[in-house]
Amino acid sequence: MITVLSNVIRFVVLIALQVLLLDHMDLANGWVVPYLYVLFIMMLPFELPTWSVLLLGFATGATMDFFSSTPGMHAGACTVMAFARTGVLRLLEPRDGYEFGVAPTVQTMGLVWVLTYSALLVPIHHLWLFFTEVFRFDRFPETFGRALLSALLTITLIMLVQLITGRQERKRA
Amino acid sequence: MRDLFRFLWRSRSTLLFIGLMVLSFLWLANGNDHHRAQTFTSSQAAIGTLYGWRDQVVRYTDLDGENEILAAAQAEMMNRMRSSYLNSSAPFVVVNDTLLQQQYKYISTRVLNSTTSKQKNFLTLDKGGKAGLAAGMGVIAANGIVGVVRECSPRFSTVTSVLNSSWNISVLNPRTEHFGLLNWDTADPTTARVKDIPKHARIVVGDTIVTGGDDRVFPKGVPVGVVESVVNDDGAVALDIIVRLSHDMTRIGHVWVVTDLLKLERDTLEAKLDAE
Repeated sequence: MITVLSNVIRFVVLIALQVLLLDHMDLANGWVVPYLYVLFIMMLPFELPTWSVLLLGFATGATMDFFSSTPGMHAGACTVMAFARTGVLRLLEPRDGYEFGVAPTVQTMGLVWVLTYSALLVPIHHLWLFFTEVFRFDRFPETFGRALLSALLTITLIMLVQLITGRQERKRA
Repeated sequence: MRDLFRFLWRSRSTLLFIGLMVLSFLWLANGNDHHRAQTFTSSQAAIGTLYGWRDQVVRYTDLDGENEILAAAQAEMMNRMRSSYLNSSAPFVVVNDTLLQQQYKYISTRVLNSTTSKQKNFLTLDKGGKAGLAAGMGVIAANGIVGVVRECSPRFSTVTSVLNSSWNISVLNPRTEHFGLLNWDTADPTTARVKDIPKHARIVVGDTIVTGGDDRVFPKGVPVGVVESVVNDDGAVALDIIVRLSHDMTRIGHVWVVTDLLKLERDTLEAKLDAE
């Protein structure tokens, strides 16, 4: 129950942060856009079955689409990312498996693990999103650069958020 | 058949993934369809409300820009005001079938710097010769006069403030129709002195003083201040009047520069008179 509640709160906070603040940052004339809201999909509990991660990913992307009035672009990118999450988790699985009832955070998995995890997942989402956004391949290097630079920024923000919220949890404990 | 179901159940995630991807691509393909965009009207209303809240917070960060726009709009309105036009419909004068000819033009400018604490105070404006400003033009703020343009560079202008002891301006009490001369020698940025109003004039505290308009700096009737004290000294030749300036010179942001479009014509004509 607490897990569900904390995920709902995380969803609301991340979407609000995205549509109210990050989408209006206009970094480098809108060349670089951090999409921090993908952190919601990344931080879903380990034991969640793939199909529900897929549905939640699609719903997250669709919510973003409603807010930014884009036609299904975020929904597609998030579904791809949610699908890739299963494979990435299998790839990064520790020798004795994942603990039950635990979310992927710096506290539970360590800094390097989270960094690898986001470095694998975030670029997938960003590349898919930026390429469906321009919907053409003739400006490939530009779009590729935008996606990767934005991904770099998103990963930086994810690590920051993880470190900030992690410290609070430690204080509470 | 059971094998088929078992296979479908085992690959349910992949199938769901394919289904969701097809859905997102259909959405993308129909993205420009206006009618489909209408499907989400209720959620659009909620989203609009949320963005409205955001704007209520964010709009305060751009008050400078907003003010700029409003000031420009007001200058535009002042340009259309009836008092900016000279009535040329007198008998036998018909110019291009127009009844009114514009006499005063207002240019919106921003005060970049101003002093009020010195004996001779000046202001700096963010517009200059390129915007049509020239020395001798009047400068007014929302509530009253501010000064007169002293010098112009292409992009900036300096203004002799009304709080400058070496500057006089012709003023008028519209109630009694008496002209006087405003001079700032009170050393107080909120008041100034009016001289040369004859002793028989019945000026009372609370009278409004406006510009006289006869020195071609300001239009007639721009607010200057309100009479605060009148001293009728037996030994003096004129009343000693202190007015409270209607515009607070310590708080000054946007001002308008007044251009008299007919000044050149009038000056040229009067120069001929002087030459004789």
